[in-house]
Amino acid sequence: MATIVEGVGLTKRFGTGDATVVAVDAVDIRIEESELVMLMGDSGCGKTTLISLLGCILTPDDGELRIDDELIHTVSEDLSIIRREKIGFVFQLFHLLPYLTALENVMVAMDIASTKTDEAESRATELLTQVGLIDRLHHRPAQLSGGEKQRVSFARALANRPKIIFADEPTANLDSRQSDNLMSLIQELRREYQTTIAIVTHHEGLKENADRVIQMKDGRIVTA
Amino acid sequence: MKTLFLKDMRYRQARVVLTALGITVLISLILLLGGIMNGMRIQARQYVESTGADVWISAEGSGGAFIGFSMVVEEYMAFLNSEPGLAPDSASPLVFAQARPTVGGKSTKAIVVGYKLGQLGGPKQAIAGEGRMFTPSNFEDYRPEDPVPYEVVIDEKMGLEIGEQITLGNEKVKVVGKAESLMFVLDTPLLFMDVRIAQKLLLGNTPHVNMMIAKTDKNEQPVQIASDLDALETIEARTLKQTLTDIIAYYVDEPMKAVQFLRVMLWLAAGILVGMITYVTMLEKTQEIGVLKAIGASNNYVMGLLLKQVILISAVGVILGLVLSYVFAAAAPIFVAIHFVESIIVACISFVVCCGSGYLAARKAITVDPMIAFRGEI
Repeated sequence: MATIVEGVGLTKRFGTGDATVVAVDAVDIRIEESELVMLMGDSGCGKTTLISLLGCILTPDDGELRIDDELIHTVSEDLSIIRREKIGFVFQLFHLLPYLTALENVMVAMDIASTKTDEAESRATELLTQVGLIDRLHHRPAQLSGGEKQRVSFARALANRPKIIFADEPTANLDSRQSDNLMSLIQELRREYQTTIAIVTHHEGLKENADRVIQMKDGRIVTA
Repeated sequence: MKTLFLKDMRYRQARVVLTALGITVLISLILLLGGIMNGMRIQARQYVESTGADVWISAEGSGGAFIGFSMVVEEYMAFLNSEPGLAPDSASPLVFAQARPTVGGKSTKAIVVGYKLGQLGGPKQAIAGEGRMFTPSNFEDYRPEDPVPYEVVIDEKMGLEIGEQITLGNEKVKVVGKAESLMFVLDTPLLFMDVRIAQKLLLGNTPHVNMMIAKTDKNEQPVQIASDLDALETIEARTLKQTLTDIIAYYVDEPMKAVQFLRVMLWLAAGILVGMITYVTMLEKTQEIGVLKAIGASNNYVMGLLLKQVILISAVGVILGLVLSYVFAAAAPIFVAIHFVESIIVACISFVVCCGSGYLAARKAITVDPMIAFRGEI
């Protein structure tokens, strides 16, 4: 299996002087193709910071990052290109644009990647059908349930055929039934699109869905 | 999704409409203030140009024919009529004085123009079918006890009928005719009457006039003649061009300095309005911008979205302001002359100011850290 994401010695500090906090401390991590990885640990242990580094949202203070076998020059490169071409994000609070329909929320990710509108519409429809929202294409986020919003988020994350999806606490705002449904969907999507998925979660019950669980503590990986 | 920015605008339509309306009001005010000043300039010029005079003579130290207090003794008439370079017998005495006549029981503002009928200074005939000119006195052989009827020719737009009476001081003056409109600055009507009547009513019946005007010989340069006359110790002489410059500076540009300042302030206000509202909208959209950046939007993409909104709001506001200024100008109680080319230039500058301030706010907005997407709600 090919390695999709590899971080070596990744370090991220916040603050200066005595107030410096090392959020991620010399972490080595590899995520393989088609893997479903769960990042777990207590609040403040550095999980979200780590996926932000791996997802090219934050730049590391030290260490090296490779995505799809390419060394990422985090200082000199335009990271937005990597984010839109290789990475998909799913957020805890869904973060759908309130003035767009479900279909348009998925299309917007492709618009950012300069995909033609008709092609984007066709793919967005296909993805929303895949996540079971064929009858909700033209609903706005305010008209959708939490579970439905998170499905739209996953469809948006898949829109540009990313190498990896990072999901930050995707079930935190869902009830247990919606969580189970979402995890089933994630498994299904992984099978369908062969996408690598890394999920940050507190939810112990989700462990059983993972290929591998990475435990973090105080900015370091304790078990991988 | 070319319409993404439009959908966002529709979602925030109350703010968009209010911003555009704010720009509309400010732009129409800028144009109307400019139009009022243009109107004043046109009205300041039109009487002076209508006289056909080349040289304007006022008392030494008055600063010009329409500027300071000027009283010239009548004897200069004979001197001017024999002065080489001036057209023979073209010199004409002129009383030009602000007055507050009572018309229909109401005190109103007007300018009395006293001149010799048939000479420079006022109309030679009334509008056809609108009465006649006033009865002239015999200027040269005039004696104060001579009976000259108190008659006036009014501006056609004054709204008075022939036969009505105007009270000037303690005297009643009869309207005998109407002249083509030559309103002075701020729609002040001109009342044309015989120079002797004007002297009686406004100058205490003394043998003085406010100024004298004359034509130059065809082959003479007014500048040279005015310069020669100006060299005399007791009078000042100006050409038509100098007089127009004086009158526009005195009646329009100097009193309107505050208005000019206000226009610049309004421009600034329009710019600040757009910048401020764009910035406040950006603050409200911080999370949304963070999410767009997190899912791969470049700074240029986000900037494009924001600028399209700024440009559209500014364009709508400016165009509506332009249209509204012409509507208000037509309905204004005073003469407002908005020059089309000037209004286009003002609109373009206003558009650039609004877009510029919106750009500055948008530039600040694109520095949003995409990490923000991991916190809070949109």
